[in-house]
Amino acid sequence: MKTWQRGLLGLCALLALFGGAAYAQAPGAPPVEFPYTGNRTAVWIVAQLHILFAAFILGAPIFVVISEWLGYRKQDPRYDRLAKEVMKVTVILYSMTALTGGLFIFVLLATYPQFTTWLINHFFLLFAVIYPLLFIGETILLYMYFYSWDAWKGNKKARHIALGVVLNLMGTITLFVIDGPTSFMNTPVKAEGVSPAEFLATASLWDKIYNYSWMPMNLHRLVGNVTFGGFITGLVAAYMYMASKKEEDRAYYDWMGFVGNLIGVGALLFLPFMGYLLAYELCDYDASICPYMMADQLSMFFEMQGAMVGLLFLASNYYIWLSMKRIEGVERVRMTVFAPMVMIAIPLVMGKAWDMFPVPDPKSLLFLLPLIGLLLLGKFVPWTVSSRTVIKVGFLMVIIGDAIWLTPHGFVPTGAKLVADLELPSDWNFLALMPAKNAAAFTLVFVTVVNYIIYNRAINQGTIVWGKIDFVSQFVLVFLAFTSIWTMGLMGAVRSLLRKYFHTYNLLPDFTPESFTPTLSYSAWWITAITVAFYVVVSFAIFVTLRPTEAKAHAPEGSPAPAGAK
Amino acid sequence: MGNVIKKVVVGLIVGGALLGITRALDFPTVFQLMFFAYALLGTAVFLLLDAPSLKPVGGVKAVGALVVFYVVLCVVYIAGASLWPQYDPEDEKGKIEKILKPKRAATELGKAEELIARAKALDEQAKALAARIKALGGDQASASQAAGGPGTPPATTGAASGDLLKIGEDQWQLQECYNCHKLKGEGGKKRGPELDNIGNLLTVDDIKQKILDPKSWMAEGFEKEYEKGKMPDKYKDLMEEKDVVALASWLVTFKNTSVNTPKPIKKK
Repeated sequence: MKTWQRGLLGLCALLALFGGAAYAQAPGAPPVEFPYTGNRTAVWIVAQLHILFAAFILGAPIFVVISEWLGYRKQDPRYDRLAKEVMKVTVILYSMTALTGGLFIFVLLATYPQFTTWLINHFFLLFAVIYPLLFIGETILLYMYFYSWDAWKGNKKARHIALGVVLNLMGTITLFVIDGPTSFMNTPVKAEGVSPAEFLATASLWDKIYNYSWMPMNLHRLVGNVTFGGFITGLVAAYMYMASKKEEDRAYYDWMGFVGNLIGVGALLFLPFMGYLLAYELCDYDASICPYMMADQLSMFFEMQGAMVGLLFLASNYYIWLSMKRIEGVERVRMTVFAPMVMIAIPLVMGKAWDMFPVPDPKSLLFLLPLIGLLLLGKFVPWTVSSRTVIKVGFLMVIIGDAIWLTPHGFVPTGAKLVADLELPSDWNFLALMPAKNAAAFTLVFVTVVNYIIYNRAINQGTIVWGKIDFVSQFVLVFLAFTSIWTMGLMGAVRSLLRKYFHTYNLLPDFTPESFTPTLSYSAWWITAITVAFYVVVSFAIFVTLRPTEAKAHAPEGSPAPAGAK
Repeated sequence: MGNVIKKVVVGLIVGGALLGITRALDFPTVFQLMFFAYALLGTAVFLLLDAPSLKPVGGVKAVGALVVFYVVLCVVYIAGASLWPQYDPEDEKGKIEKILKPKRAATELGKAEELIARAKALDEQAKALAARIKALGGDQASASQAAGGPGTPPATTGAASGDLLKIGEDQWQLQECYNCHKLKGEGGKKRGPELDNIGNLLTVDDIKQKILDPKSWMAEGFEKEYEKGKMPDKYKDLMEEKDVVALASWLVTFKNTSVNTPKPIKKK
């Protein structure tokens, strides 16, 4: 990106920020009315787009630095090339983050001027000083990191990696800071016996930031961003694999897709538990949020989430399966017969554990001891099964896990409309309760981990042939990226809707006629539209940044620099 | 091909078995179908595992395949989301309007809007009167006014006890108390005590105190819920005094001794 383009984008962002602030000062400015979408959906679209870009630019640099470090450690130029190519896309999307961020402020101020001014007043220091400084600092670091890539190689590589680490620290702090007002809107500070408005009047900025859902949201978003970044890297690899004409490029992008998927899935394994933690804190903050979320207005949103997460796990395991198929000598890989037995036992054992310990408790880990014992026994008992059998049993358990996650208490939009014809029989109601859902999530995670262990054994015992993967795998990578973005959009909507008819829960009501819970179908239309819009921009960014590299493959600055080269 | 047929047959057998078992266990039809659908999903996955490799395509063909793939994903996700039972926002709109109306009226914007609305109404009345005077003459217009024409202010009535109980019942619905408390056999998720006999255990003032300060009373057997603060401490901010009184007055009418409403213990 040229300097004047960056300058223009920066100017737009500043205009949006200060123009917005100036607009907010206009006394009694009436809110604008967006045609067709309405104000709330307009804010939703811009906010979600901004979050998607922001999630990528915060998540991608985390594994970019790790990849660069791995390249340095292993002296494998592929890691360095991966890191640099993802960084190129990140730089373009960074500009989009600033642009949509500015647009978000404009739209928010134009549509909800009173609320926006109120929120800015409560977090004035954060919005006026801390956040802009962090954003500017991150911008400087990001461009320094990117533009010093070729200059700081060889014996200066460690310095470059250190810069990347600082960039990530700055990014993480920025995320945590902006999560303050966001989480505040869901769970504003409160104290027993004092009205929220009175307590707010005496609360410090730190009190407001350090609210109930702040840290769970930080952790959820941090892990979510890495997942998202990993799957987008997979998308980049899939596009480039499809566009590659040379075998060596195909081999490289096949490898890149695998690494992207590995990062995405690796972080995805933690995501259900981070989500559980966030939901737990929200319910702890106000018990009425729980039924609204799980049993009433938003219950079907969670059904859809179950379906999407199930698809994500199925697809990521299918990708491992396809990766295994191109390993020569994979048929020699065997595993103890107890491994599939443990897989089958996992949902039952973990369901019982969660039933007895609904609140996370170290004692609940005792339930895992017999299973670990069985796996250890496998070291001494020579009964083995083929890796294919283990993976197929794993798929069966993923489907069973998905089924448990998906089974609702009743096929009704709210508990109030529950009738016997649509309700799970009482003896089987445990399938719809949290212990069963958690056990299902644990099963999905466990099977995926076992599959990666098998994969690791396969590449140690066999020979991996990069570039020869089944072509359908590229569609799996595209699918994973699309589905993860869609799921982010869905859960983002859920988190915002949890505020019910408030801008800030229980504090500032939303008096507009749009402050109701929309249908899942309506939401799905907009989530899809937002996902497609994001995809178009990302696809364009990949096209403009990585296509020229291929053309200049032999130019010195475009070639992958060996990590140790001087 | 033989392998495909074998898998489809196995899938259908498993699906049929699930269908039969769920039917025998008296699962509602929709759940029976759902379990059958799980078997079909499993069949599709196992078919996919051993499907022949896809030949690589590039250029325009690859772009075309991607576009088609995206269109399929969009359609499937929108259709999938639309197949689940849909919440009707109309169920909520009326409730929200009722809850927010007094709050809105209390704001500066609300006051200004009320003044504008009154001014508009007066303006319309004046226009209507002017039109009548013009069409009928001054005497007839005055007679119409005396007989209760459009300019007559609405009659005001005091809130009778029946009204108070109606408001109380409305508040039960508006504040969604049924989410945690069972009453008349409806609602409740075991988070809070069943309230059918509360009238024999607490007075209006006691119930009012509990609503405004959830830590003031604890139901026997709900120690964990009490300690965790399961009952939200927000109603003193969300509800007006008269609404709390109405809700308490309505609740105190429930004196069904056949229901085991747990004994309340005074804490404050």
